Formats: sequence, structure tokens, C-alpha cells
Amino acid sequence: MAGHEEGFNLEMPKVGVIKGVLAKDIEVTGEKVVNIRTCARPYRNYYSSNQLRRLALVARKYGSSKVHLSPRHNLEIPEVRQKELNNALRELYIAGLFPGGAGTSVRNIFTCPDWCSKAILPVQELGLMVSKNFGDMDMPNKVTISFAGCFNGCSRPYNTDIGVYAMAEVVLDRERKCEPDCKACVEVCPFDAIKIQDGAIEIDTTTCTGCIKCVEVCKADVLRPGRRGYRVMVGGKEGMDVRWATEVKRAIDDFSVLETIDAILRWYSKEAILRKGSKKKKERLAELIDRAGIDSIPL
Amino acid sequence: MVKDDLIEGRNRETVVLRISSVKPYSAELTSEQLEILADIAEQYGSGKAHVTARQTIEVPDVPRNCVDEVVSVLESHGLRISSTGRQLRNVIACSRWCLYNVKPMSELACELNRQYMNVRLPGKTTISLSGCDFSCVRSRTSDIGVIARADIGLTEKRCKHCKVCIKEPLGCQVDAITLTDDGVVIDRERCVRCGFCWNVCRPGTIEAKRTYYDVFIGGRGGMRPEEAKFLGSVEGQDALKALIQRIIDIYQANAREGERISDLVKRQGMEVFNGRA
Repeated sequence: MAGHEEGFNLEMPKVGVIKGVLAKDIEVTGEKVVNIRTCARPYRNYYSSNQLRRLALVARKYGSSKVHLSPRHNLEIPEVRQKELNNALRELYIAGLFPGGAGTSVRNIFTCPDWCSKAILPVQELGLMVSKNFGDMDMPNKVTISFAGCFNGCSRPYNTDIGVYAMAEVVLDRERKCEPDCKACVEVCPFDAIKIQDGAIEIDTTTCTGCIKCVEVCKADVLRPGRRGYRVMVGGKEGMDVRWATEVKRAIDDFSVLETIDAILRWYSKEAILRKGSKKKKERLAELIDRAGIDSIPL
Repeated sequence: MVKDDLIEGRNRETVVLRISSVKPYSAELTSEQLEILADIAEQYGSGKAHVTARQTIEVPDVPRNCVDEVVSVLESHGLRISSTGRQLRNVIACSRWCLYNVKPMSELACELNRQYMNVRLPGKTTISLSGCDFSCVRSRTSDIGVIARADIGLTEKRCKHCKVCIKEPLGCQVDAITLTDDGVVIDRERCVRCGFCWNVCRPGTIEAKRTYYDVFIGGRGGMRPEEAKFLGSVEGQDALKALIQRIIDIYQANAREGERISDLVKRQGMEVFNGRA
């Protein structure tokens, strides 16, 4: 009964354990080291104070007492000694922290904070649902999913494989009259989608993104927020080369967002092939869309 | 800290504190700093800390009248309230422990953070320092983006044909290396000078003859994203710091209030910077 003597054995995903690296300027300790990229599971866009304390403890005990802040909500504990890896993971697990957000999988879901006053719709719960359904799912290549509550896009949905924005349709009330010589909505529109001709407002619905900045400045209530929903963009990426995501859905509800993401991920896992000249690496969503065309996504 | 640096919270009584580290390093926190943040979040806030995309930590729900108290605690531990609004934002750098690093950048980020603390600028300005071509910290969509690069050369040391430099995932990304019986052959036209092969070469056959920084300007994310344009290359950290200073000077002198570097480039073209920076 050797297993009993060893006690509880925890099986942890090793996806967030990144090959140990000692940068050239850092003193070589001679031991093999790994970096642990951690995040809370189920996904939260914040860390509790207990989790911060646990991270501090693990970094001090097994690493070099430092934690790196990564741009996707993850905190990385560098220089964890390979021999102590399982102990470190176990101690993180107690505080609800898991390794993850690396390799060819769905990376950590990124949402904006819930206290922001600019958010048109809250996206945190949606992020949690997506994380529960698709988080850490195995994919042909890395897939990043970001959510933004308004069009400022602090979580950068424009540069991620699947980006979701909260938006609201702008409703034009033809019964009401603008204040004389008021051009506030025309001036504030970041996309030049509003025109005033002979005192009547016209909105170009193809260029309007639903950021409702015009609604915020309208004093006469001619412009009002209509149906709120989410806008889904696909095929962005960042890094060696930059691509912007293209819109595939607009003003849809949260359940349809889940369905859309599911359809995109299924299509991507089925269709992705090896990169040109590569024996192992498969193409990313942006490259697949370039090859197959955006219309071939079954939505 | 300036007054603008406090972010409006859920209600009038509370603010959100955006905190970044300036000592000993930017881009990373020590265990002590993590514990201090945990204490602050518990004592003054709601026990939560949000990690942002620009390597700061936001502690929400801090009562407005406790801010001064928190700031003095932060400052004694190498932390500070990070800038918001029309200022130079927290300078971000990639991990020092990354295998791909041509040069570790977080020390430089730290220096820049201290130097440009609370400098008023015409618009929001972001600086991102990447140690390699992957640019995890998004150098290509920042107002000023820096990518470290290496010119690769060969040494006398014999190649042991371990093939790490041509194999995925750590080897050459653009098929610029071929291994022959005589050793390594590098296709100069294909090479993008990312330095990956140099990082993985154990016998020391491949060597970086020269490392330098590529500087990009005028990128932005968010509502109207823009890809940064290549400005030039500089060698050495002092030259890089001087170049960043000149870019900021030119930006301050030429931009209208509210314009970001990308807007200035759009209005006046890259010539504003090209001739003088």
C-alpha cells in the first residue's frame, strides 16, 4: 500500500508550468527551475487577499520571493525549484489557485473590473461562464478570449482571437427636437457615424459601434439607448505581427455569446492545419480566417 | 501622486487605487509587497485586488479619507499610486525569466518609471519594453514600443548537432538556419534578429555579435486601435533612454491637448519624429 503511505496525491494540470529559465543576468543556482503561471479557478478577475498572501508564501518558500505580473491577469512565480514543484502546486491549490494560461489552450479569460462606471453591461459573469465552459480547453494553438464592458476596451478585445464588447443600439426619437445649433453628438462620435442634415440627425448603422457616447452628451433626449447586447469580434492577434479582429455578431444576448464562442472554437479545432513549413505548430485563428475566409465560420 | 490618479469608485465615498511597484523592480512584486497589498485590500478595501493589463494592481472600494494613510504605507514599501489620465502610464516590461529574452527589460522599466513619475503630457502615453520579438507586453500597440534584438554571428566553437536551434518551439521561427556537416549556416535575408537561436545554443556556436533596440511609435489599443510604426534602432540603454526623452520632448512640443502620439503622427506624419529623434 505504497500509495497510502504517501498520502493524498494531487493531480494538477501542468499546462501553466513553463520551462524553467534563468535569465542571463540572474545568478545560476545550479538547480533546475520552472515558472508557475497561476490564476484562480473558477475564473475571477481579481485575487482575494488570502490568495495574495498564499502567492507571497509560495514565492518565498519555493521561489525567489518574487512574482511577475503578466498582461492577462496571471501572476507568475518564477524560479520555482523543479524538485519542489508538486509541493508548490499543492500549496497554491489550497487557496484556489491553479497553474494555467499557457501552451496551446484557451488562455485565461480577461475581463475588465466590475467597479468601472463606464461599463454598458457587466461582463464578469459572462467571463465566468465562458471560463467554466471553455477554460483551458485544448486547442490547435493559443486562443485568447477577452471581454470589455464598454468600447474603451481596456482588456483589448480588438487584439484577441475572440473579443466581446458590450454595446447598446442607439435609438433616434424623431418626435423630439434637437436644441438649436447643438452638434455635441456629431463632435463626440469617434467613428464619424452621425451627420446632421437640415436639422435632422442621421446615423450610419454600419459604422456605428454602439459605444453610446452620443447618448451621453445628448441633452434633448433625441438619442436614447436601445437594446443592449454584446458584439463579438474574431481573428485579432498581437505579438510578432498585429491583426485587428473583425465583427461577426452584434447586439446579441449573453447566451448567444456562449453559442457563438462554442461555434467558433469547434470550427477552429476542426479546420486548423499545420503552419506552412512547420511540423508541429498549427495555425492560429487569425491565420485560419485569412486562409478560409471569415464567411466560412458556421454562425 | 497627483489628484487625478484616484479612479472614481462605485460611489462618491470610495476610490479605486491603482498601485504599481517602482522598487526593487517594475513588472514584478516581492513577497513582502504582495502581503502589504493583501493587508491594504483587507483593511481598507473589500479584500479584492484586480490585476490590470498594464502590470498594476487595482484595489477597489477604498474610502476617500483613508487614501493618505494608504499612500504612506505604500511608499515605505517601494509601491506607489500609478498614473492615470493624461500622463505617462506605468512602463511595462516582460518577465526577466523568459527563455526568449534577448535582454531583461524590467530594470529599465523601473528607471523610466522613476524618472517620469507624474510627468504631464498632452495625452495618455504608454511605454512597453519587450525583451524579444514575441512582444508579450504589446510593444506594437503602445505609444512607444521597444523590442530588443540581436545580430547573430558564429564563433569558433564546434556545433554539436543538437538541432535545438532549428527545432520548435525554441528554435528559429523563420527557417533561417540550416545545419550542414561543417556546422551552422545562417540565411541573413531570412533572419529577423530575434535571438532565439542564440538563447538556446548550448555549445556556444551561435553568438550575439551585437544587441540593440528597435523603437516603434504611435501605436494604441482600445477604441480605435493603431499599429505602431518603426522609428529606428539604437544601441545601448543610455541611447535608448535619450531617444525616449527626445520622443517625449517632440510630442510635448507639437501635440495639441488631448492628442496621443498616434494622432500627432496621423496629423503631421512620421517626419515630425524622423528628422529630429
